[in-house]
Amino acid sequence: MSEFTYFAILPRPTVDSEEFWAGCNRGQLLLSKCGACGHRFYYPRRLCPACGSNDLGWEESAGRGTVFSHSDVHVSFYGPSWESQLPYTVVLVDLDEGPRMLSRMVKSDAPPVRTGDRVQVSFIEVDGQKLPFFERA
Amino acid sequence: MPRVSDDVVIVGIGETPVGKLPGYQPVQIQAWAVQNALADAGLGLRDVDGLINLDPYAIPNSMFATTLSEYLGIKPTFMATVDVGGTVTGMTMLQQAVWAITSGYCEVAVVVYGENTRTGRPENTQGLFMHTLMGGEEWEEPFAVQGMVVPYALVAQRYFDQYGAGVDDLAAVATTTRAHALLNDNAQMNKPMTVQDHRNSRMISTPLRMLDCSLVSDGGGALVLTSRARARALGACPVAIRAMGMKMTHNSIAQLPDLEQFGMADAARDAYESAGMGPEDMDVAELHDAFTISVLVTLEAIGMARPGEAGAYVRSGATSLGGRCPVNTHGGLLSQAHIGGMLHLTEAVRQLRGAAGRRQVEGAKRAIVSGNGGVFSVCGVAIFEAA
Repeated sequence: MSEFTYFAILPRPTVDSEEFWAGCNRGQLLLSKCGACGHRFYYPRRLCPACGSNDLGWEESAGRGTVFSHSDVHVSFYGPSWESQLPYTVVLVDLDEGPRMLSRMVKSDAPPVRTGDRVQVSFIEVDGQKLPFFERA
Repeated sequence: MPRVSDDVVIVGIGETPVGKLPGYQPVQIQAWAVQNALADAGLGLRDVDGLINLDPYAIPNSMFATTLSEYLGIKPTFMATVDVGGTVTGMTMLQQAVWAITSGYCEVAVVVYGENTRTGRPENTQGLFMHTLMGGEEWEEPFAVQGMVVPYALVAQRYFDQYGAGVDDLAAVATTTRAHALLNDNAQMNKPMTVQDHRNSRMISTPLRMLDCSLVSDGGGALVLTSRARARALGACPVAIRAMGMKMTHNSIAQLPDLEQFGMADAARDAYESAGMGPEDMDVAELHDAFTISVLVTLEAIGMARPGEAGAYVRSGATSLGGRCPVNTHGGLLSQAHIGGMLHLTEAVRQLRGAAGRRQVEGAKRAIVSGNGGVFSVCGVAIFEAA
């Protein structure tokens, strides 16, 4: 399926997320880590949602996790031009480092993903931005 | 425990026709609902000095409480536009009305929501099209998650996998709710639905099919509140808001907590404690049902069914008219209309007045109403009682 063309609505990075999306373009999945309480979180923001500290840094995730839930989408919510994408699989992934993240599975001939399956990040480039999709580990 | 107030009661309910109201704009629909609610209360526009509404989602407006007040020709001393999220907003509007009346800022308050979500949406749109941003876009849209079906599908799949539930559990909710809608003359859906109809309906986002999804509707609903003393003078048949509980846990699906951590259970516990009641005291339930899965999760969170057993509870007939505690007697968002939960509130009042006609729950004295905004992001539970 190497010829498959992914469509995506690209993010518009903010002061919080610029580094995250730049990290994706370098092939890194970055989590925010609080210098005060050690909490790792996703998505990035200007304070730690666990303790409120602004002492934040970045930590690269190993990009591995477990499927919390999944759904195969059979309808285009973006008009007829998106029908080439159908069906696609959306997943909630519990990263090994803790945070839960929403993502999309890479198109594959492998058996459909199930809750509890192990997955790993796989960066898919769309119009110059790499996006952190997942594939079976 | 937080208390709403025993001194303010609901004295009027109003609904517009639902479904398609071509040519109607939100302000006209809300005005129509307000007039119907005032007529029901035996009050006039001149009596209204408090107005609380929700502005339209499909095409958002600013200053919508003042827009509507001007249109109605009223000059309130208290007004607010409230948007807490989805079907919780109606409850928050009731809270605002109660507190505005008890603190003397107004004497008669109307709360209202309505819009032309169905006929006002652009052509070729799937589901509910909204111009309104909801805050999670940067972490959802790159992964092709848009709208509400996919998020609820993720909840449903998790529920299936955690408890061994399945499509029959969703179908039970869909068919039970449809059966109730057939007893409501003001409902969009007027044909019976079988379990097979449910199974044959188009798959949208696994495991949710078309018939697991709520309707997209034009229409409006409104309630009128005033003091107990004023209600007595009106000779009204008032309904009291005995308790309300609310809890927010997250906003977007990307921050979804575990099912056990949804705020609905906290909201229900607070409401029950505040009222000094429990699930066994409820005669009728009007529960958030934007998707069939919402009803299953909510029945468990409010203590009507044990975790994972809501599907069996629905199939037992407990939520049907004539059952232990009928749920969504009006047909709900799934089969009557999706008016942001306003019609769950009006139906609860109607049931407690004993005025629900063919779908009346005999002797109903207490009703529980649930709402949720987002993806169980903010949850609310209210308990109403015949006053």
